[in-house]
Amino acid sequence: MRHPYDTATGTIALGIALTAVLAALVRVLAG
Amino acid sequence: MDATLDLALRWAHFLAGIIWVGHNYSNVVQRPTWRPLTAADLIDDRSPRFQALLNREHGFFRWASVVTWGAGVLMLSQHGWLAGAVALQGSLAPIGVGMYIGTLMMLNVWFVLWPHQKKVLGLVPAGIEERVRCSRITHLSSRTNTMLSIPLLFFMAAGSHGGFLLG
Repeated sequence: MRHPYDTATGTIALGIALTAVLAALVRVLAG
Repeated sequence: MDATLDLALRWAHFLAGIIWVGHNYSNVVQRPTWRPLTAADLIDDRSPRFQALLNREHGFFRWASVVTWGAGVLMLSQHGWLAGAVALQGSLAPIGVGMYIGTLMMLNVWFVLWPHQKKVLGLVPAGIEERVRCSRITHLSSRTNTMLSIPLLFFMAAGSHGGFLLG
């Protein structure tokens, strides 16, 4: 079964997406 | 003395962090696309893939994760910021998120990746099928840390330079 982690692009794209989500959460919750 | 200690901790944190996460990125750059191990790769411990696995394996990066984490927590503690970071309070929220991500990454190395890697390498006895299964887990575990390092580094930077996050 393919997983986003099976390519460097998928791994980095997930990391950037998670960064955006967490940054938005911090801005809403702690800002 | 406090400033000297802070600088020493910060230096240790960066240095150990680069050794640790650099190990992950080296793997991603050298082998960007997953290629499953086969039983043949593991039956003959002189096979190129097994040798490549062995060559990548060393305790240095695992202990670097402990130094990185410990220096980071001590730094926060020395400034009196630890409780606020843990509680994600106000301006300490960004570094608090970074701390939680870093903690997850260290736990991942020691309690997910390493136990499975020991089986893959034959340091812990296991059948060939089990070793092949474990190699998939070590791949996903390693890439999880690569992925988590992206928000981790963002929130480390945001701890000092991320005022916009706090409105």
